[in-house]
Amino acid sequence: MKRKKFTKRSSNPLNKLSLFQKTDSKFSRKCPFSVKDAPIIDYKNIKVLKRYISDTDKILPSRITSVSQGKQKKLTNEIKKAKILGLL
Amino acid sequence: MNFYEHTLVAKQDLSSTQITDVEKKYNDIINNTNGEVIKIEKWGLLNFAKKIKNYNKGFYIHYKFKGDGKTLNEIKKNITLDSSILRHLIIKYKKLDTETEYFKKDEN
Repeated sequence: MKRKKFTKRSSNPLNKLSLFQKTDSKFSRKCPFSVKDAPIIDYKNIKVLKRYISDTDKILPSRITSVSQGKQKKLTNEIKKAKILGLL
Repeated sequence: MNFYEHTLVAKQDLSSTQITDVEKKYNDIINNTNGEVIKIEKWGLLNFAKKIKNYNKGFYIHYKFKGDGKTLNEIKKNITLDSSILRHLIIKYKKLDTETEYFKKDEN
């Protein structure tokens, strides 16, 4: 039996980050809340907050989601408020 | 005077008349103690993410009001004695957003 030739994987350094990330979506540098017509960060707006939570209800770090520093602080506060009311 | 938002989570097994009583009670408490209710939203029966005291669902009532420290003390005092309420949350705001409703039901 012949062994298959070892092929180098693509040397994209961003692949190391894909532990939590979806494989088909590309790594974006821009903050999703600093764009024009960005969604409002609020504890009643559950559809938006659900994107930034893992399957086991942990808050995702900003190095994976690329949310800016100030907005990440606001996100964590709003997620905690929603958890008190049992919405998330 | 500051602006506040206040949400209640009532128990699932209350009848519809009992829920209107709860809604009226806290409406009166705010209005009688230097406060003023601006808007009331009823979000209806919603599912919890986890069980809270062995309940799977709850009625949500949402107030937007203007008030003092007196009104907040009065609300907190009444909620600790009230057995029909599971959770509550009060948040202070500089400006109130009264237009967008996140829990509106589709009208079909």
